[in-house]
Amino acid sequence: MSALKKTLLLSSLTALIALGLSCKPTPKTEDSVTDSKGITSKKMVFNYLRGTAHKSLDPMKQFDSASADLVANIYDRLFEYHYLKRPYELSPVLLSEMPTLSEDGLTYNFTLKKGVRFIDDPCFKGGKGRELVTDDIIYSIKRFADSNVNMLSYMLVEGSIVGLDEFHAETKKLGKETNYAKLPVAGLKKIDDQKFSITLTRKNPLALLPFAATQISIVAKEAVDKYIEDFERHPVGTGPFYIKEYSRRGVMVLAKNPNYHGTYPAEGDSGDKESGLLADAGKKIPFIDEIHLPLIEEPQPAMLKFQKGQIDWIGLDKDNFNKMAYKDEQGFHLNETYSKKFDMYAEMGLVMEYLVFNMKDPLLGKNKALRQAIAYALDTKGYIEKMRNGRGEPLKSITPIPIAGSQAQTETDYYSYNKEMALKKLAEAGYPNGEGLPEIVIEYRSANSATRQDFEFLRNQLSTVGITLKPGFQTFSAFLTKIESGNFQMATAGWAADYPDAENFYQLLYGPNSSPGPNHSAWANAEYDKLYKDSKYLPNGPERYAIFAKMHKILQDEVPVIITWNPIYFGLFQKWVGNMKRNMMQDAPFKYLKIDTAGKKKGV
Amino acid sequence: MVGYIIRRLLYMIPILLGVALLVFTLFTTVGEDPVRIALGNHASPEAITELRSKWGLNQPLHLQFLDFLKQIITFDYGRSFNTGEKLSALFAQGALVSLSLTLPPFLLAVMLNVSMALVVAYYRGSIFDRFATAFFIMAMSISYLVYIIAFQYILAFQFDLFPINGYEAGFRAIPYLVLPGIIIIFVSMGPDVRMYRTVFLDEIKSDYVRTARSKGAAEPRVLFKHILKNAMIPILTYTVVAIPFLVLGAFLMERFFSIPGIGDLMINAINTGDFPVLKGLTMYIAIGYSIFNLITDILYAYVDPRVKLD
Amino acid sequence: MSTQVANNSLGRRALQKLLRQKLTVICFVVIIIYLSIALLGALNLLPDFQARVGESYEPPSLSIAKIFGTDIFGRSVLFKLLAGTKTAISIGFLVTSIAVPIGITLGSLAGYYGGKIDGFVVWLFSVIVSVPYLLMVIAISYVLGKGMLSMCIAMGSIGWVGLCRLIRAEFLKHKEREYVLAARLLGANDYNLIFKQILPNVLHLAIITASLQVLGAIKSEVILTYLGVGVQDGSSWGSMISDATGELVNGHWWPLAGVVITMFFIIYALNVVGDALRDALDPKLVD
Repeated sequence: MSALKKTLLLSSLTALIALGLSCKPTPKTEDSVTDSKGITSKKMVFNYLRGTAHKSLDPMKQFDSASADLVANIYDRLFEYHYLKRPYELSPVLLSEMPTLSEDGLTYNFTLKKGVRFIDDPCFKGGKGRELVTDDIIYSIKRFADSNVNMLSYMLVEGSIVGLDEFHAETKKLGKETNYAKLPVAGLKKIDDQKFSITLTRKNPLALLPFAATQISIVAKEAVDKYIEDFERHPVGTGPFYIKEYSRRGVMVLAKNPNYHGTYPAEGDSGDKESGLLADAGKKIPFIDEIHLPLIEEPQPAMLKFQKGQIDWIGLDKDNFNKMAYKDEQGFHLNETYSKKFDMYAEMGLVMEYLVFNMKDPLLGKNKALRQAIAYALDTKGYIEKMRNGRGEPLKSITPIPIAGSQAQTETDYYSYNKEMALKKLAEAGYPNGEGLPEIVIEYRSANSATRQDFEFLRNQLSTVGITLKPGFQTFSAFLTKIESGNFQMATAGWAADYPDAENFYQLLYGPNSSPGPNHSAWANAEYDKLYKDSKYLPNGPERYAIFAKMHKILQDEVPVIITWNPIYFGLFQKWVGNMKRNMMQDAPFKYLKIDTAGKKKGV
Repeated sequence: MVGYIIRRLLYMIPILLGVALLVFTLFTTVGEDPVRIALGNHASPEAITELRSKWGLNQPLHLQFLDFLKQIITFDYGRSFNTGEKLSALFAQGALVSLSLTLPPFLLAVMLNVSMALVVAYYRGSIFDRFATAFFIMAMSISYLVYIIAFQYILAFQFDLFPINGYEAGFRAIPYLVLPGIIIIFVSMGPDVRMYRTVFLDEIKSDYVRTARSKGAAEPRVLFKHILKNAMIPILTYTVVAIPFLVLGAFLMERFFSIPGIGDLMINAINTGDFPVLKGLTMYIAIGYSIFNLITDILYAYVDPRVKLD
Repeated sequence: MSTQVANNSLGRRALQKLLRQKLTVICFVVIIIYLSIALLGALNLLPDFQARVGESYEPPSLSIAKIFGTDIFGRSVLFKLLAGTKTAISIGFLVTSIAVPIGITLGSLAGYYGGKIDGFVVWLFSVIVSVPYLLMVIAISYVLGKGMLSMCIAMGSIGWVGLCRLIRAEFLKHKEREYVLAARLLGANDYNLIFKQILPNVLHLAIITASLQVLGAIKSEVILTYLGVGVQDGSSWGSMISDATGELVNGHWWPLAGVVITMFFIIYALNVVGDALRDALDPKLVD
């Protein structure tokens, strides 16, 4: 009896495993593809992943990076940040050249590229994609400013284009009655089907930057009108790819737009030529036929798949960095076993991490010495070494290092760990050795093991000078509510550049930007605010940097926030991936990448 | 019989009302605020009010609840806050995927575990019994999470026996579902075999078995004919009611193996306060649960003639 | 009166029976050790797990603090495990002490009295079991604010359902049995019938359920902490396992090994003792 049962059990288990073995799917990357001339060639498939599911593929309705990555590949914008050049600069996408500025410095004149077509779609007459015209640009900018459509990102252009704020307000009043044709915007002028102009409210060197954001992608009115609520799942763009299979929580498949108008950049930074990044200069893009984007939410399977060669590119997180790479004086390297198989990049992020004090808190807000004591007690360098494997740099100004006007230009200094000074300031604050100091609560926006470990580090640090820290691990919405209502003591924060300019970071402490704006400390300093306004519309240069240095001095003395560090981002890619240069303003530059299919087959 | 079924179906109404009230209270008064999540950092108060009214969250609670009841009756829960997708399509798709992940291993596990429990019960008290019990308890003493991580790492990655993760529509999904299936079976073994063994032991010690045995019935026959039949009642209770929850899949499994089922959908909905998804899912599960309960009771009567349906 | 005597001797005989089994005794001792650790933790007598005892990620070595190595901050994994033991035992007992009394009371009242009381209890647990467990626990945790206590209340306020159903079903069976009918004829009142006659006969179910409940709670803590609703500060096995998922790929196996071993013994012991209690307490088996 038992023998029988055991055999049954064993055989069924064996059968299961055999089933698994026999059905192992073969990778589909070797399929062939036939082009319009009837020539059959190997299909170039790029395998990547999505770590979170996107919210919307309607360019104007999305503001999360998962959506933006897809939108950037399906739609085009007027500009993008040049793929190869650093520091980041704008380069035209839908325009034949960079716009010209009128003599008074207020009006930009644009000329559209000829022969740009939307992809074929039933929403167009005869199902054939029509050519892009000026009306599409004006329609898209209006749709972006329509408060019934876009509730998330209008602040990107707020106040900068003549008549657009009024349009925005009007759409709010009209609601569903909004009719763009009846609401002209003075600053948006059609000259002909190819030419248009945009008039600014004042001289503003930053005015063009928002047009590189995916939220101002160019859409076709026909598609919006036809698909209405389903438009966000049925994109129709002029971009390098179109959606072949829509599966939000499964595998999204993007396929090449064979009529795409773009070409590979003709020039790059010094060194790009040597590293082969300009081999395809001037060639028609995209090179890749298909992009497969499965949703993989857990890091373990993603990394296992990458190591098996089933994914071509992956971000390198802290744990895997530990195992696969190391840091020495020359920089970051892959371990030998991995460097034979993969390539790695390390790119400074456009991100500033910091801690916020609530200036309305009766304990922290009124006690400058206490805030300074905490700033002295933090060991940011140690934190980066220990908790982040050295994958970052301590910041000495509020601006991330790759952006013009950061610490290299301002030549500023900042707090570093100094126990004596911390104790001295603590005594000055009225709490010698922390005696009599109540517990301070610091808020986190999630409760995963990473935030828990971060807190442990901070708690350890501050306890060395007698400051007791308690964590408040919040859900995201609870965190926002707490922070914006000013009901907190300390909070963790980070800011990623909306556009690569220092202004985007100095505005974080501008008085009028207090909650629900980004200045959660509710700190207001008349001198700082004046300097901020002075610097905002200045072009980058010594004059502007001198003002930044003055603002930094005030921040350093008043400590409404503690500026901590600038992360470095790492990624691995397979040896068969070509044209890879990490661009922090283009997270999914699939149109420039290529695959060496022959090399991949050989396992190069 | 028909009268009984109708009465039971009517009884579902108060239960579903209770569930609706419970879910509504839990998720409208607490949990993540979907409006704040959708609008993210630095939302203006006007934008918040606007979206709140668009989603009908500014209405008085009793009206919102009435709306919810209407949705339950019409089976139309509208669209997801998060993505604007139609929920009916979202659920139908996800449920199918989750069921294909959980149902086959569930059925296999029931058969396997009942057989193993019978064997173990038959050899009660022997070295074999002790060894088996020890083994099952050992298997139970390790966290589910550890199993997933270890099995994926060792079997799929190191030994290359299975695909690491993934999913494709239709029958092409099978290879991706085998490893998760094996984990589901493996994890169910400990608790299920122990549970069934207890049930069998209860029956073995019963008077009627002693009678049968004293009459000279051979052991295996007793085991099958009498014990299995009588033990069916608790086993049925234990298994049939678990079926509706299979729709939810196994959310950890779905996350680690990238299977686009309902479990992962639910976790994301909880984390983003996507009420329409949560309300819809809960009501479907509750209805399924009630129906399967009814099926269990009808099966009772079928298995055990002593039970009368009235 | 006579039943009282019978029960006493039943308990004594059960205890004797339990003590005859070596494995059970060992497992008893294991549980007592864990309980003492938890007790020491409650009295703040455990070593401070926050203290650094060495470098970051030292593998296990032969000193007490480093027997399971150290974690990322150079803290003793052993001390974290001890603190985690306190957390786990508290969770287990809190959940059980909420769930079991509710389950027994509602189950026996519903089963014994039937009618409206039964209707209400059945309605209540039907509603609760119809909602997915995880959804309920997370939702209730949100209501009460995140953290260990609210997680326990959440698990406890749902966990009584299984036991309640079992007890109710047994009461339905037992109240028709001869010994109950006989006692009723002899003039026993409801209280006597419920608590003196029927309950002792079905109590083994409560004991098995309780032992399963403790370990169910301990295991749920792991998953809930992984999802971010569980234990917020201090050390817990759940947070150690979540951390370990990242540590394992770097070859830092000892924190995970430590948790798996620590969890293994208590769960094993609880299971064995639960089984043994079941065998010993089941009146049918005492002969």
